[in-house]
Amino acid sequence: MPGTSEERQPTLSESYTTVFAQEEMAGTSPERQPIPSESYATGDVLVAPRTASEVIDIIKWKTRGNLLLHLKCFKGDSLAAAQVQEVRSITRIERIGAHSHIRGLGLDDSLEPRAVSQGMVGQKMARKAAGVILQMIREGKIAGRAVLLAGQPGTGKTAIAMGLAQALGPDTPFTSMAGSEIYSLEMSKTEALTQAIRKSIGIRIKEESEIIEGEVVEVVVERAAGAGGARLGRLTLKTTDMETNYDMGTKMIDSLLKEKVYYLHVYKFDLLIYFDMAYLWYKGGSGLRGVWRPPPNLVQAGDVITIDKATGKINKLGRSFARARDYDATGQQARFVQCPEGELQKRKEVVHTVTLHEVDVINSRTHGFLALFSGDTGEIKSEIREQINAKVTEWREEGKAEMIPGVLFIDEAHMLDIECFSFLNRALESDTAPVVMMATNRGITRIRGTNYKSPHGIPLDLLDRMIIVPTAPYSQQELKEILNIRCEEEDCQMSNDALTVLTRIATETSLRYAIQLITTASLVARRRKANEVSMEDVKKVYSLFLDEHRSEQFVKEYQDEFMFNDGAGGEMAHTLKTTQ
Amino acid sequence: MVEEYNTDTEVLLRRTWKVRGKLGGEGKWDVEVGDPIPDVTNAETIDIIESKDQPIVSRRNTRINLEWRIRNLPYPIDIYSINVNNDEKCIIVKTSNKKYYKKLHVPELARLTLPLEQNNIQASHSFNTLIITYRKPQMLLDMEKEWFLELKNVKHVNTMPNECKTQ
Repeated sequence: MPGTSEERQPTLSESYTTVFAQEEMAGTSPERQPIPSESYATGDVLVAPRTASEVIDIIKWKTRGNLLLHLKCFKGDSLAAAQVQEVRSITRIERIGAHSHIRGLGLDDSLEPRAVSQGMVGQKMARKAAGVILQMIREGKIAGRAVLLAGQPGTGKTAIAMGLAQALGPDTPFTSMAGSEIYSLEMSKTEALTQAIRKSIGIRIKEESEIIEGEVVEVVVERAAGAGGARLGRLTLKTTDMETNYDMGTKMIDSLLKEKVYYLHVYKFDLLIYFDMAYLWYKGGSGLRGVWRPPPNLVQAGDVITIDKATGKINKLGRSFARARDYDATGQQARFVQCPEGELQKRKEVVHTVTLHEVDVINSRTHGFLALFSGDTGEIKSEIREQINAKVTEWREEGKAEMIPGVLFIDEAHMLDIECFSFLNRALESDTAPVVMMATNRGITRIRGTNYKSPHGIPLDLLDRMIIVPTAPYSQQELKEILNIRCEEEDCQMSNDALTVLTRIATETSLRYAIQLITTASLVARRRKANEVSMEDVKKVYSLFLDEHRSEQFVKEYQDEFMFNDGAGGEMAHTLKTTQ
Repeated sequence: MVEEYNTDTEVLLRRTWKVRGKLGGEGKWDVEVGDPIPDVTNAETIDIIESKDQPIVSRRNTRINLEWRIRNLPYPIDIYSINVNNDEKCIIVKTSNKKYYKKLHVPELARLTLPLEQNNIQASHSFNTLIITYRKPQMLLDMEKEWFLELKNVKHVNTMPNECKTQ
């Protein structure tokens, strides 16, 4: 059966509650008392009287229901890598979306799909195909390929596209749109498509830019007086010759503060355990050892940093030699650099990545300035695009710029009409075309805007230019795995039998319906003050909320009692027709 | 490039260049001589900017001198050392307390490919402002004289809105 080859985590259940309670009782002896994390000082050696896997298990169990980051694994030990994989590594501020659990395609280095990885489950063939496409995009040699993801609803087409976007990383442009987005009253269909295509092509260009380079003397963030006062940030930087104070904007303050969590560096596993897990650790004793220190990307006094003045991007070059003696505060991996000389502000060549669309917007004079405020660019004249294309070709020939073809993902591609398809046919032939990825859940259906029928609602000539990746329905085991991942994502602890029932619901109705029941069931469980969702909770929400099939049944059964249904349906339709 | 002159004293008040980014677009004004143009961009959108109390350099030329004014510099005059560096074609302002360092470029002389001379530099400090003056070399004065003769033929643009009629 697929999905079992990878080692599963033991379900973290009551056993840990008791272990933990016992330990808290036992921890009353003075040397074993956990210390409040605020009292840890940089460089303190702390000990967890457990093995590494125990520590990881406890952290996983404890952090359910908590959105902060706790564990982050650096490359290194395989045990830690395998276990920590499941734990999110970024601070969660955004809301939980339908695909927020997806962090990549779940492929190994040779692009073979792992059974359960990065939030992806099953669908091995499709993921393998996506891996090949990923490689094709990364190499960036072939322009204008189209890929179609075709499959039944709820088979993970969008998930694969999202995974691909994640796997490509932030430097490759990935534009995601729904087929129906092109129908706007302000913009023609082809304009919308052209913009989407140009948003998917990046140019990496060297540009001279203002850089501030210096050693951090102090970072101060304070709140202005009064409730909800704006935060004021001040950064003092110096070189060997001068010192300057800078005021920071809100965005900059946020990016500096976000990382302001101390962490515990566990040598043995090269593992970083964050602030609020500190209760696991004691001073002295034997067990897993770690050193308390600030995270590597935190900007603090003594760091040498560069700031790109235009983008506000901060880059940490290393620690100043002058601070070399606070070795404990930095760890082994710290790099020591000289404090820069001369002026703080310099002009340097910096590599930027911009999309063609952004260049279009900057150069379309009529909108240029206002577009920055409204976000609405309107139509861009084709002459401007031609000029920019010529310019970009020139830069490329001179070796000043590099083109990065990205991905345009069109979900619900059957919503495009015949004009769009013929436009795409043409657009794909251009050598600046991105890889166009489409997804559809339709079988043989009418092509929008015509009376002809075609597979997936896409004309045959375009289909012929595509490589088609099918997605198949999930097996029961895979469904269970997905539901399990979703439970984690939605911070809901579910008992084993409840998960089995939910899996059964997923097989009989639909995966989406089963996912809907997770949070609802956890809310029901919370009402009866239980931490864990039981089978009864799932049954309750199953009876409370109808799935699509039961709803249809219900409507059929009681059709007579609904509005406008006293035998006059035909008549209604008739009158409508005559009035039009 | 835009220049503003005082027609009575024949002194350049402002010279600004429009600098365009490589990607195109409107570009920004770079002030060579004259007071800096106040930045209209909203403080909310700015990521990082020098604090208001930090030193600011502005240029203001007189008839015989090139002049730099560095405001917000509280240190007394003996702290500063002002030296000519002909390798980098600039005047370097240093402070012995390591608080301020600035390379001042002299585009007027660079255009004439004239070397900088230490003897031409004078500096004074008052009201938190360091004023550095550089005596214009004869060649520059001659060129400016010619240039003003040329400017005499240019038609004046009256910027005062005196045609604005009241009711």
